[in-house]
Amino acid sequence: MRSFTSLRGRLTVLYAGLFGAALLFTAIAVFFSVGGEARRQVQSELTAGGAVFDRLWSLKADQLAEGARVLSRDFGFREALASGDAPTVESALDNLRGRLALDRAFIVGADGSITGAADVDPAAVEKLWYALDGGATSGVLRLNDSAYQAVAEPIMAPQLIGWVVFAERLTEAEMASLESLASIPLTATVMTQAQGQPWRSTDAGAVDPDLAQLIDAARTDSKPLALDTAQGESLTLAKPLAAMGEGDRAVLVLRYPLKLAMAPYRALMLTLALVGLAGLGVLVFGSWLLARSITRPVAALDEAARRLRDGEDAQVSVATRDEIGRLAESFNAMASGIREREGRITAMALTDQETGLPNRRALEAALAQADPAGLYVAAIGVDRFLQLRAALGYRLAGEVLRQLALRANALSPDAVCARVSSERLTLMLRARTLEAALVDLAELVAALSQPVRIDDQTIDVGLSAGLAAVLDDHPVPAVERAGIGLDQARAARRPVAAFDAAAYGDPASKLSLMSEMLRGLENGELAMVYQPKHDTRAGAVTGAEALVRWSHPVRGFISPDLFVGLAEETGHIRALTRWTLEQALRDQAALRLAGHDLTVSVNLSGRMLGEPDFAAEAIGMIAAADGRICLEITETAVIDHPETAHDIIDRFRAAGIAISIDDYGSGLSSLAYLKQIRADELKIDKEFILTLDRSARDALLVKSTVDLAHSLGLKIVAEGVETAESLAILTGMGCDLAQGYFIARPMPLTGIVDFLDQARLVEAPKSPAAKRA
Amino acid sequence: MRRLYLILLLALAPAQAWAGDLVMIVRDTAGKPLPNAVVTVHPAGGVPKGPIRFAWPLTVAQQNVQFDPFVLVAPVGAAVSFPNRDKVQHHVYSFSAGNKFELKLFGKDETRSVTFKAVGVAAIGCNIHDQMVGFVKVVDTPFAVKTGADGTATLRGIPAGTATVRVWHPYLRAPKNELTRTAAVPASGPVRDAVSVEIRAPAGHRH
Repeated sequence: MRSFTSLRGRLTVLYAGLFGAALLFTAIAVFFSVGGEARRQVQSELTAGGAVFDRLWSLKADQLAEGARVLSRDFGFREALASGDAPTVESALDNLRGRLALDRAFIVGADGSITGAADVDPAAVEKLWYALDGGATSGVLRLNDSAYQAVAEPIMAPQLIGWVVFAERLTEAEMASLESLASIPLTATVMTQAQGQPWRSTDAGAVDPDLAQLIDAARTDSKPLALDTAQGESLTLAKPLAAMGEGDRAVLVLRYPLKLAMAPYRALMLTLALVGLAGLGVLVFGSWLLARSITRPVAALDEAARRLRDGEDAQVSVATRDEIGRLAESFNAMASGIREREGRITAMALTDQETGLPNRRALEAALAQADPAGLYVAAIGVDRFLQLRAALGYRLAGEVLRQLALRANALSPDAVCARVSSERLTLMLRARTLEAALVDLAELVAALSQPVRIDDQTIDVGLSAGLAAVLDDHPVPAVERAGIGLDQARAARRPVAAFDAAAYGDPASKLSLMSEMLRGLENGELAMVYQPKHDTRAGAVTGAEALVRWSHPVRGFISPDLFVGLAEETGHIRALTRWTLEQALRDQAALRLAGHDLTVSVNLSGRMLGEPDFAAEAIGMIAAADGRICLEITETAVIDHPETAHDIIDRFRAAGIAISIDDYGSGLSSLAYLKQIRADELKIDKEFILTLDRSARDALLVKSTVDLAHSLGLKIVAEGVETAESLAILTGMGCDLAQGYFIARPMPLTGIVDFLDQARLVEAPKSPAAKRA
Repeated sequence: MRRLYLILLLALAPAQAWAGDLVMIVRDTAGKPLPNAVVTVHPAGGVPKGPIRFAWPLTVAQQNVQFDPFVLVAPVGAAVSFPNRDKVQHHVYSFSAGNKFELKLFGKDETRSVTFKAVGVAAIGCNIHDQMVGFVKVVDTPFAVKTGADGTATLRGIPAGTATVRVWHPYLRAPKNELTRTAAVPASGPVRDAVSVEIRAPAGHRH
């Protein structure tokens, strides 16, 4: 059925079908008209044959009657017959039989007697007598199973005394001679039927019932009729004949097989069929050719449209000037237009609009097509690009990158050098190993780092580069890894660095760590430890810093630096801070019950200073617990909203909550910071304290800071006090509080209770330094 | 009914009456009067002795190539003359048993006669003219007459008593072309009877 889905197949089938149907109708018409003509001819021949037979029959009858009449008129014969002179009569009959070559010649007396045919069955004689008496003079006579053509002449002497009957036997030869007179080879048979008996043919054979039926029909309608016989259909004419026997019937049956009638036309029909078939073949081929010539350009268009759909170049060769040709031209124009626009869109999609350089998508497409073995991606970033752009403007900053890309392309022509972000170029490198790639990249960076000339200006550029192998089992794409490598290089202050997966960690696991932390807060996985704070003037522990510890059921101890920092970055710090504060207040109450009244310091992320709701909540909690809390504000985070922060700090202080500035002296802390935050105490970063006993410079810094703090009315706390010397120095400097391993390690609540109990037992007023001294 | 009437007549008639008459009407089956039918009566007491004479001439003429009369009633042993009144010659014959004769080719105004010796019917033909057919009814009773155009035969002076009445016609469809009946002849006066007979004219004959 595939051919019906194609135009060519349909056209071919349509044409061939139409012609075939026309041919078929013609053939049927010819067949029927020829058949009808043959039938008419045979019918007329049969009718003519019947007429000929009639003539012959009556001629014969006349001949016979002539003889019979002569005899019946013969005076001597009549006299002999009337006077009952049988021998004379019989001898006369014999004489006539011989002379006229008659099969039968006999006398039927008016009284029913028979003379000259002693062998005839009396019943037949009686039937004959009745027929003769009824006036029969001529007809078919059946005697002793033989059919005869018989004539009868009455013998008048002068009244009727009998009949002369002359009969000629109807033999096959007789029939054959009749048949030979017809112009067509018909079959002639005389059939007879005695009353109540079946029809019998000339030779006394039985007659086919269909034929018998036809004969009965023919008695009323003497037209030739079609009759089916074992030899096929034949036209049959049945002509009734007179019968010489009471109740007998006779008929002449002329038959002619239609097959013979059709024979002359068979060659004509065959020729017609052959011509028709040949014509059909030619037409099928011709319409196939025509259909192909029509559909080939259409198929070409179809194919081209499919190619166009698949994004391939599609042009159709135009061969004709007809509608299809014009359609093909239009199609070609359309295809070209589509390709052009597509090309432009693709180019735009793959190009950085500012510089005209390939963009990240172009690079990724190139990477996808390149053999990944030994392929590396290098991200080259312009250091301090923001400042550069601020100084030069966007256009020139982009031009710098473009120049660098041109340079890179000149140095390694095969590499696609793409601008993946405003300050970064990323390109492909091929090298045998990562080390070799690093070396190549370093050389490239060095080569690129020459000053760039733009508009007669010389611009110095500092470049850093990150490298990542394309073939690396890492979820982060190579382009991003190279960028991270660049960040890592900058962080490490190296010109070139390969991506370090270990240092990068896993962002996904960080997020899951936070959800685990929240669960840990509820499950009690997180616990508080306290590090005592030693009051140098009182020589006793007057406070403790609450520090959070997380013992993960699977990962074990997790560094606070990791999860606290992460909590700050991801916003989970609020929950952590609340929990810490709650725990610290609870523990402070427990300590108070144990007889130790300590100020508990709780770390507060600078971010929390931006949340007035939290501040209110914390103040409420502390007031409810009657807590003595110092909030150590870590300065890792930038304070985004200084006014809000001041308000909150003021509210804390108004609520009697001390504020401490943590890790002073490192990171972002500055004098401006001191000015911004009106704290109660200042906590010097342990970086300065750890080497205090060895570095005079650190000592000077610490001393001046202590003085600065005291001048501002702040208490000063020193962290990282690990030696007696340090404590002594700090005490000497006037530092108010000291915290560190020398005094005590952070310990759980029970531990600090024991520690405090012991310290009270040993020597409450003495400072550790004094004791040591 | 009619017979009952006759019997009644006989019973009432005077015993001295000697003879009666018979009136016979012959019709064909269509009811038409049939001429040329010969009615003969044989009284139970036998026919009277003596020669039989009839009132009509015993002549069968050939005129207009026909026999005239068509039927002649003749007493047995009588000589019947055959005058030829045509201009053509005739060859008159009869093959009837007992009365066979042949009058070969005799011409105009020539008369020949034949004596009919046997009681019965002599069918007469002409060997030259097939259409010429005639009959001589040879009888042995004086009580014989043929019906006229009105189909009536009247016989007079028949002795009273029962009698055999025969009606013959050449084309009457019955054995020997004859019907036989019995009649009661009254002592005087007529008795009437009527028969209806089937007639079949042979082909080729014009009667």
